[in-house]
Amino acid sequence: MEDRNIISIRKADIYQREALILANVNLDIEKGSFVYLIGRVGSGKTSLIKTLNAEIPLVNGEVTVAGFKLSDISQREIPFLRRKIGVVFQDFKLLTDRNVHDNLAFVLQATGWKQTKAIEDRIDDMLELVAMRDKLKVMPHELSGGEQQHVVIARALLNDPDVILADEPTGNLDPETSQDLLRIFLELNERGKTIVMATHDYPLVRQFPARTLICEHKQVKESPDNVEEIDFMELLEM
Amino acid sequence: MKKQKPLKLKRRVFRSYLSATVSISLVLFLFGLFGLLVLNADKLSDYVRENIGFTLVLHDDVKEIDVIRLQKILDASEPVKSTRFIDKETAAKQLQEDLGEDFQGFLGFNPLLSSIDVKLYAEYTRPDSIAVLEKEFLKYPQVKEVYYQRDLVNLINENVSKIGLFLIVFSVLLLFIFTSLINNTIRISVYSQRFIINTMQLVGATRGFIRKPFILRSITFGIIGALVSDALLALIFMTYKNEFAGIFKISGYETLGIVFLFVLAMGILISWLSTWFAVNKFLRLRFDELFY
Repeated sequence: MEDRNIISIRKADIYQREALILANVNLDIEKGSFVYLIGRVGSGKTSLIKTLNAEIPLVNGEVTVAGFKLSDISQREIPFLRRKIGVVFQDFKLLTDRNVHDNLAFVLQATGWKQTKAIEDRIDDMLELVAMRDKLKVMPHELSGGEQQHVVIARALLNDPDVILADEPTGNLDPETSQDLLRIFLELNERGKTIVMATHDYPLVRQFPARTLICEHKQVKESPDNVEEIDFMELLEM
Repeated sequence: MKKQKPLKLKRRVFRSYLSATVSISLVLFLFGLFGLLVLNADKLSDYVRENIGFTLVLHDDVKEIDVIRLQKILDASEPVKSTRFIDKETAAKQLQEDLGEDFQGFLGFNPLLSSIDVKLYAEYTRPDSIAVLEKEFLKYPQVKEVYYQRDLVNLINENVSKIGLFLIVFSVLLLFIFTSLINNTIRISVYSQRFIINTMQLVGATRGFIRKPFILRSITFGIIGALVSDALLALIFMTYKNEFAGIFKISGYETLGIVFLFVLAMGILISWLSTWFAVNKFLRLRFDELFY
């Protein structure tokens, strides 16, 4: 039973520094599922994702991600956890001092790829997937927000991770590009990848319905089965 | 227009490394110059010490063959650097020149005795070794008395140790100042990359993998800086070679070599350690801590 879940959270309290963001979180995410994480600004979506990525240390509770127990993960193990997870960051986090190709090459070299040919082929394949092959030698600051987001997705996929955590990937994009991006995620999901996507792009959630978790009042709640029943207007209120 | 952009960026990046290298070079240059001074101060004190002369006054009836034998024994002994035999006539001539008076004509005979001037190696010129040597010299049957300027020896020894102490304290201080200057330069250049370091961690790079290029680059700049300052030192050394001639002698090149290697080693070591600590500092910080 345990093996079916790629992410499992038990009685976890999530803190951002001293502030309690989410309390007593209990959650299971099955392998190969597609999950939305919605909620207001500041409701703890990003903090939850950062906890899964071991960016925020876990204070209380049990969290298992891709076989790693985060409650007693050592500093040395963290890089290896992060290789199992592909993260699409809200603020892109590309290496600003090098071009697209070198950004991707860095990740491959850092994760133990040695052969130049294999590295080049992998970069080509991933950029092809996000339709960015012509931007190989372009610096990140020369790309638009949407283009950077595509490169970040390509980067997240380099090591063929089991789970992709996307933090507001459509936050900076126009509706059309957002839909393209979501199609990429759905395609990846069909290939068996688990996708956890934090978003407040509710029209998109309505358009491509899936399991939805709501961060609200320091709690993570399961949404009603029918997406129509979610009171998006209430969530949008600041 | 578009083509120029990366070029400009590269030039700017190059310039920032250049300024770091220039400051490392300058600091190492000062360091090398001071090292040269310290090492040669030692030579200078040796030079002064080795000019302290002993005069072994010989008995009037000593045969020339005994004098030559004594001189040979002295020359072969460890503490003695050089000996010079001065016979009665030479001594009289010398004194006559100094006095400007014909004292032999006045006295009717030459009252002076033959002597051997002995110069010692620097390490045997401390007061206690001199006292031992004095006794040794007096044991030779040819020697009537041993004469040297006790006060001068003490004075030289006192001052040389004072200057030596001062130089050591000063050089430790300089080492500290220079190290922290280079350290700061490197810390600032690593600080400018702190977000990149953070991002590298987030995409699964180990700490060692992130550190490596920083350390390699910084060692490269340490080596370049050291070579530049070595070149400057060599230039100064060659330019003022004649002025230094009395102090440096032949061993000057050896000293210069030691200083060169020392500057190179310091260039590598300081930039290596500084980068190690600076990168580690940012590896430990969390993203939100990078803003303070």
